[in-house]
Amino acid sequence: MKAVRSLLDKLYTVPQLARFKPVIGAADAILYGTNETTHAAPHVVDNIDIKRYMSLVIVALLPAVAAAFFLFGWRVIAIIMVSYMAGGAVEVIFAIIRKHDIHEGFLITGLIFPLVLPPTTPLWVVAVGVVFGTMFGKEMFGGTGRNIFNPALVGRLFITIAFPAIMTMNWQTPFASGPEAITTATPLTTFKSTAQTSTINPSVVEAGTEQVLFTNAGAVKKATQNPQSEFAGVQVYCMGDAAYEKAAHHRRIEEGKASRLVSYGDLLIGKEPGSMGETCRLAILAGGLLLIGLRVSNWRIPVSYMTTVFIFAAVGSHFLPAKIAPPMFQVLAGGLLFGAMFMATDPITSPFTKAGKYIFGISCGVLTVLIRSFSGYVEGVMFSIVIMNAFTPLIDQMVLMFKYRPVKA
Amino acid sequence: MTPIKNRGFHGGYRFRNFEASPLDKLAAAGVPSKVTISLMQGFSDEVACLVQPGVQVKAGQIIGRDDERVSSPVHASVNGKVVKIEKLEYLGSEVAAVTISSDGTDGWQALQGYSARWDSLTAEQIETLIYLSGASGAGRSGIPTRFKSSIISCDDVEEVIIHGVESEMYGPLSGALLTGDCLSKFADGVKILRKMLPKAGFHVAMNAERESLIAGVSDALSGNDWVEVCGLQSRYPADYDEVLVSTVLGRSVPAGHLAAHIGVIVLDIRDVLSVYEAVVEGKPVIERTVALCGPGFTENPHVRVRIGTPLEHVIGGNLRADKAWRFLRNSALTGERFLEMTQTIDRNCDAVIAVHENDGREMFAFVQPGPRKDSYTPTFLSAILGGKLTKRGETNLHGEERPCISCGFCEEVCPAGLIPHHLFHYVERNIIDETLLRFKIYDCIDCNLCAYVCPSKITLGRHIKSGKDKLINEGLTCPRPPFALKGTGTQKD
Ligand code: SF4
Ligand code: SF4
Repeated sequence: MKAVRSLLDKLYTVPQLARFKPVIGAADAILYGTNETTHAAPHVVDNIDIKRYMSLVIVALLPAVAAAFFLFGWRVIAIIMVSYMAGGAVEVIFAIIRKHDIHEGFLITGLIFPLVLPPTTPLWVVAVGVVFGTMFGKEMFGGTGRNIFNPALVGRLFITIAFPAIMTMNWQTPFASGPEAITTATPLTTFKSTAQTSTINPSVVEAGTEQVLFTNAGAVKKATQNPQSEFAGVQVYCMGDAAYEKAAHHRRIEEGKASRLVSYGDLLIGKEPGSMGETCRLAILAGGLLLIGLRVSNWRIPVSYMTTVFIFAAVGSHFLPAKIAPPMFQVLAGGLLFGAMFMATDPITSPFTKAGKYIFGISCGVLTVLIRSFSGYVEGVMFSIVIMNAFTPLIDQMVLMFKYRPVKA
Repeated sequence: MTPIKNRGFHGGYRFRNFEASPLDKLAAAGVPSKVTISLMQGFSDEVACLVQPGVQVKAGQIIGRDDERVSSPVHASVNGKVVKIEKLEYLGSEVAAVTISSDGTDGWQALQGYSARWDSLTAEQIETLIYLSGASGAGRSGIPTRFKSSIISCDDVEEVIIHGVESEMYGPLSGALLTGDCLSKFADGVKILRKMLPKAGFHVAMNAERESLIAGVSDALSGNDWVEVCGLQSRYPADYDEVLVSTVLGRSVPAGHLAAHIGVIVLDIRDVLSVYEAVVEGKPVIERTVALCGPGFTENPHVRVRIGTPLEHVIGGNLRADKAWRFLRNSALTGERFLEMTQTIDRNCDAVIAVHENDGREMFAFVQPGPRKDSYTPTFLSAILGGKLTKRGETNLHGEERPCISCGFCEEVCPAGLIPHHLFHYVERNIIDETLLRFKIYDCIDCNLCAYVCPSKITLGRHIKSGKDKLINEGLTCPRPPFALKGTGTQKD
């Protein structure tokens, strides 16, 4: 290790490398920590620093990365490497231009970004996305701490809009390879298309109906108990295992005509198609709870976000079952869990006031359900978080204006 | 036994188990060969000098007194000869200081009129003894007497809070101050103060965790319904006047003002012991008990030192030579550095702290489990295992300065309920106007806890303080509360 130390010390003195001081300094600080001491009171300070803070976020993302690797294979690692290299290059360039230290933020952006991509994303698109996100999501605002939008989300939205075909058409089924593994449907898309062509939760299945969709076990029970229901030749789709179990073994429903649209258990362990890091919900939960336990991220936003989605979906799907998917499905499907745990909680781009955090979470929840149900897009998590990012300064200002009365000096 | 109440406050942080915390042991530092005594001690104004170079003085003889300004007399602390009087820097201002070379004897001259049977003394006699002994210069606003020893008068005093709360990372132990017969002296001291301030309510606050101590104090004071004993959480900054007033009394000190302005006197254990010594033993304040804290000392006792003793004499041979140390006065969070070993102990010094001046690098510091690294967040082993592990006392910054990421730690710990990073953003951009008042910058009690916990290593406390100073320069002083304040007529401003 002595050799490394003396090499670093030598590098500092090479005049040609003077511009790259941020890079050398970053390597030095990561390897050896700091030799700086406090200048004045407080003379003794807490041991936490941004490196540890940020590296814990990465630790919390590791279960999701591991799951992604397990589900989709080596391609995941390639995508992450490309993201880190391209994102890191932007960070280094800006650190050199601005003559400041390299900030650790890109280590998180560079990992979150690939995790919200479909596993089939071409590598060049990954690079374009992360470069765009870091430049326009962060550096244009003046760097870490001043950005309004979450840089990973900015990059993701950019490529969604710029390359819609790549980003919405090719999804890979976990554990599968070859051309038949590519599907165009995630559970959210499947729900949307099935809901359009089916009769939803009918209390009576009229004769001549082709296709029905039951969003919960209660609806199956109600329809099958009604003597007027006519199930002959009817294709029955069920959401969730409970509804499916009821339908599959029911004597009035024709053998083989009941099928499961989505299994919540499969969603939880990641057996449904989706973005690389978003599919294995168990891994996301584990990481998210770790962060909350370590107080690196705050519980207020994820809890209020997911609760709102659940409640809004529960009420909404009761009145508008064709548009609004049932609550359990909404919470587990798509990028909600990942978004709520790792992106909405980004302290820089979300409100710092307590009340503001609730407002942020609730608004995100409402927007997510609205976008999922009533817009042309199937997923609304990213849009809602980015929209609310834009409102963050306003929310904080409003909360503060309300909390602190003006004083006459 | 007086009933014990336990109380807490919002925010704060409990520093547990730092290495080389002071021991429950009392030692005497002996008489130094030379003392330098500042003519401004603690909060009070500078007093007029009554001696010239060359004169012989006795320990306990008054060498500085000013009956026109808010102050208490200053005494020679050793027997010997005045060798020089010069202006020295004292807490940011130039103050005259008297240097006395000692003849080595340890006797002292007693005050006139003291009595071992203190209950036979009148309130007036007690006041005189307390003033002449210098014990009246205690705390942040003094003990009022018929002399100008405090910004308020005796009649203004509504409540007296006496505390032995330990909440600092390094600081004296109340147990060490109350060993042996000190406990009964303390109880008598409280009763003496009551005789002088018969209308005031008395409150004695200790750490709730120190159960036997609190029970002992409670026993010693039992049978007096005018005094209440309460247990407080040992979370920093539980021992700040503002926090004590709100936890003990449920009142609040108006922002930017002193507890005395609402008629509350806050004293600590040593102040009460000084009162006892003055009235019962006739002993002026010539000594101070100082805790030697931190890994720099081979031993960590509390030592009794003469006022004006140079640091080098206090430390003596009790210093470890294996590392570089930084010496701090009173607090690792808010204290000043001792820059030279010739700097002296004054009446307000209660701890000398020696922490490791750690400019050493550490391999992969940010991923180490950290069993000996203190942290507010449970991201270190030490925080997860709580109080069982000893934490290092050292000055390393443990990271690089970074922009604020709004993590909110500073807000969580702020005992004043402020949003420190929000105030910091204004001060940093030099926006010095009513907005700062609106966000209650004057509520800050300068505890520096926000700067302690910040992962971005931002010196929030210092920025906020400079924000306050700039506001005052702009003429935007702290607004007066909508009720009458006591003692504002005699205030320095
Ligand atoms: S603790 Fe530091 S980084 Fe966190 S919000 Fe406060 S100032 Fe910002
Ligand atoms: S120094 Fe001021 S702002 Fe910081 S924690 Fe203490 S009271 Fe709050």
